[in-house]
Amino acid sequence: MEDVKAYIESGVLELYVLGDLTPDERLEVERMALKYPAVKAEIAEIEKSMEMYAQEHAIEPSENLKDKIVNSTLVNLGDDRIFTKQRKHTDEIAYEDDNVITMPKRTQFYKYAFAASVALLLISIYGLVNLYSQLQESNTQLAVLQADKTKFANQVNLKDEQLKLYLDTNYHIVRLKGLPKTPSASMVLAWNPSTQKVMVDMNAMKLPKHDAEHQYQLWALVKGKPVDMGIFDNATVDSAIVKEMKNVASAQGFAVTLEPKGGSINPTLNQMVVIGQF
Amino acid sequence: MQKNICLICDVSFLSYCDLSPKRKISLSEEELIQALRNREKIAVEALYDMYSASLYGVIVRIVIDEELAEDILQETFVKIWNSFSGYSAEKGRLFTWMVNIARNLSIDKVRSKDFRNQGKNQELENNVTFIDEQRNTVYNPELLGIRDLVQTLKPEQKSILDLVYFKGYTHVEAAEELDIPLGTIKTRLRMAIQQLRKHFNE
Repeated sequence: MEDVKAYIESGVLELYVLGDLTPDERLEVERMALKYPAVKAEIAEIEKSMEMYAQEHAIEPSENLKDKIVNSTLVNLGDDRIFTKQRKHTDEIAYEDDNVITMPKRTQFYKYAFAASVALLLISIYGLVNLYSQLQESNTQLAVLQADKTKFANQVNLKDEQLKLYLDTNYHIVRLKGLPKTPSASMVLAWNPSTQKVMVDMNAMKLPKHDAEHQYQLWALVKGKPVDMGIFDNATVDSAIVKEMKNVASAQGFAVTLEPKGGSINPTLNQMVVIGQF
Repeated sequence: MQKNICLICDVSFLSYCDLSPKRKISLSEEELIQALRNREKIAVEALYDMYSASLYGVIVRIVIDEELAEDILQETFVKIWNSFSGYSAEKGRLFTWMVNIARNLSIDKVRSKDFRNQGKNQELENNVTFIDEQRNTVYNPELLGIRDLVQTLKPEQKSILDLVYFKGYTHVEAAEELDIPLGTIKTRLRMAIQQLRKHFNE
């Protein structure tokens, strides 16, 4: 009996209640408790005291926690299969694993969401590249159309100018005709005696093509003498339709000769291509 | 009428019906153990009403953080419920078994890497008095008894009890921490609990 008293007073029972013994020591205490009612009673007293001690330190958790905890406990009630793994704890209380509530649907969802995002990204990039090349094409077309438009506007302007010449009654229209050597050649010019302006209609001009070393030169016949009126070339597509030549106050007629490039002081008469007189 | 509503609610235990939250369920320990064994729903509620405050008081003193303490309290109840077959009335009181689950969960949390990384262990040094001081700044009838209790215990008895009970020290660790022989630790612990017994039996 002395032994039991000493055993009780050793403090091992307090450690037992506090969960601070090794498994072997626990078994020893439990064995002693079965054997000696005094040990069992002492343990019960210690437990009661510690329970009261905890009650003295009790703190009410927040109001809404009860429903949460009761519900979460009950939800797990039907799902004992989840808690399959046994785990050893320090105080040898074997409890079931509670951390394996897997959520396959959710991860699955993210997996698909990610795949969908990547697919969408690729489609978007493809669409963007496509759209960009189409835009480039459209821009080129637009530039071409713009150039065309400018050209047509220019042409309309030039035609306007040409038309004005013919409609203006101040201008005398002189038709220069081909000579026997150049029967198909012809040219039209307009001369305004009051402003002394002479305009050549490049559009209506039909002169043989000259080479690079030569140019046409217009002459006015003033009192039987040829007067230089300037040089010109064959009409090209883009050139002005009406070309203004030098001024002359009075003239009996006009003629065009083929001269070396830059023109001559006196006309080379045997190179005359067209002539026109009033 | 109230009974009818409760019956309807009972069909789905997800929307657990509690029309009278103020009324607490109290069973004798034997009744409660029996209900828990039979896995009756009422047992969970009774368990909560009877022990949540005591368990929470222990948990919050260990982890300090109240939000974390509530999580651990929930974990504790789930664990009690799911491993109730591991409890044997032969070996001790229900509360002893439960409080040791709560303490182990709390101590595991406090000693985990996560928790230490948060730097929360610094507060731990004075956690017991910290919580009590904090709670005592406002009038708190729950804690009125503690002042008497603290005066009952000698400082060295209280410090060792707190170290083991609320900080999860083993008596060996406590001996090292306080630089006191192991035998003295055991004696003081026993004296402290003897003192409590006397106090509560008065």
